[in-house]
Amino acid sequence: MASELTSITPFGGFGLGLRRVHYDDFLAQDGPAVPVDFVEVISENYMVEGGRSLRILEEVRARHPVILHGVSMSIGSAGGLDSDHLARLCTLAERIEPLWVSDHLCWTRTSAHNSHDLLPLPLTSGALDAVCANIDHAQETLGRAMLFENPSSYLTFPEDEMSEWEFLSQMARRTGCYLLLDVNNIYVASQNHGFDSLVYLDGLPLDRVRQIHLAGHDPATDERPVIIDTHDRKVSDPVWALYAAAMARIEQPVATMIERDDNIPPLSDLLGELDRARGAAGLGTKALEPA
Amino acid sequence: MTTAPTLAERQAAFMRAILDESAPLPDGWSNSHALGLSVYRGNYRGALMDALAESFERTARYIGESAFRTARINHVIANPPSHWTIDAAGAGFDETCAELFPDNPEVAELAWLEWAMLDLVGAPDTQPFTAQDFAEASAGFGDEEWLGLGLTFQPRAQGREVHHDLTALWKSLGEEDQPADLRAFEDKQGCLVWREGERPTFLMTAPGAARAFTAMQMGARYGDLITLLAGDEPDQAAIQVAAQSAGGFLGQWLSEGLVLAIDA
Repeated sequence: MASELTSITPFGGFGLGLRRVHYDDFLAQDGPAVPVDFVEVISENYMVEGGRSLRILEEVRARHPVILHGVSMSIGSAGGLDSDHLARLCTLAERIEPLWVSDHLCWTRTSAHNSHDLLPLPLTSGALDAVCANIDHAQETLGRAMLFENPSSYLTFPEDEMSEWEFLSQMARRTGCYLLLDVNNIYVASQNHGFDSLVYLDGLPLDRVRQIHLAGHDPATDERPVIIDTHDRKVSDPVWALYAAAMARIEQPVATMIERDDNIPPLSDLLGELDRARGAAGLGTKALEPA
Repeated sequence: MTTAPTLAERQAAFMRAILDESAPLPDGWSNSHALGLSVYRGNYRGALMDALAESFERTARYIGESAFRTARINHVIANPPSHWTIDAAGAGFDETCAELFPDNPEVAELAWLEWAMLDLVGAPDTQPFTAQDFAEASAGFGDEEWLGLGLTFQPRAQGREVHHDLTALWKSLGEEDQPADLRAFEDKQGCLVWREGERPTFLMTAPGAARAFTAMQMGARYGDLITLLAGDEPDQAAIQVAAQSAGGFLGQWLSEGLVLAIDA
């Protein structure tokens, strides 16, 4: 399966997630376009048949490259993929012609119910088989290789047989998919489960990374000794340090994005954080040429 | 020696534990797992409660924060989501409200309207069949063509009979701190909901209009509509009145842009 898929050409740049409160900024006719190299959208918000949101996405697409990032594919579901979800994603991808399509290494639903949360997978060979079969199905249907994001997680399973980085490595090798490296998720999981973030990075096939997410989290407290991935605040210093370490290890261009989903500040604040990412990546604010 | 659960078994047990706080912890789990599970359970509940709050702002304003929270909790427990989009979580919330507030049927009517409006936001973009289009298409119609006339309406447009003036209630709840303007009708009125361009809209209309709309939407022909409006064992005068009403409804649907095509 892997050999039949077209490879995803590395794309270097710095972008933001498109959120409703910033629609006017991205669509403003006067003045320069928002200084981002790409825009990422939540796929499911636009998997509709018509209306304003789809029109706005098309207008944004006319100005910026767009990445489709999903939250509901449920690639780890034992029962396979939701055919309606996949069909609608195909329609959207054909319409928008994104840089790439991504989702998460997680499961969200059983055949009966949907949690609408990114639930953790046991790291077993059985789960790996199910994930790989679902990725093959998704990539074959979409006609393109996808990216999958490492999850933040709050528990591990007694039956785990391998580390998360081993799971991701085998997944990428077997399916030909690429990786969306969420640096904050690595940090959150490392603190919650007690592993070394750098060991995690060094265990991944970093040549398969095409995108990096940066986000904020809610630190652990005495009452709740778990860090929670919240996307509701600035990126923390340890995550910036881990980002710099990742960028120093990754040889090909990658797309870096600030992910903010709650307590969304004015666009100028997020552009400021994006400038910090440019600096942390060792690139300053100079323009990047797509590879 | 116990064997590890299959992925399907693990996921079924995990989902049960998220949906139901009283469900036993999945096999092999300790207190540290319970802590992690509480985060996922909190995410699940929080996301659904937020989605319902976003979908039913006016209903929330009308019944107040405490009652709205109770209604959301009841809805989430009774209707755990199964669709891939969380936007579908509000389906049936009007029925939840009808059960919780039996003495205030306006609550369910308002929730129904909010949901119907929201459902239209992502509906397919369409081009209306105008009154002029219709006049040209029907210029040569004889009785047979008229009686067999079918209509295609905007997808996801809805009609319903209601007991309260939803226009007044909707407007008054459009801003915070404004008292709700609740006016009950003596007889049921119709309410039609559709989209004008990209904007969902609605209209209070004559008794019978919503029923007529729904019948035609379900495939009734114009002749069937007249029969429906005329009632049981109608005399000639009743049929005449019904035909006039049907003509009035058809004119309204055309002028409001609800009709997309005719099937003559």
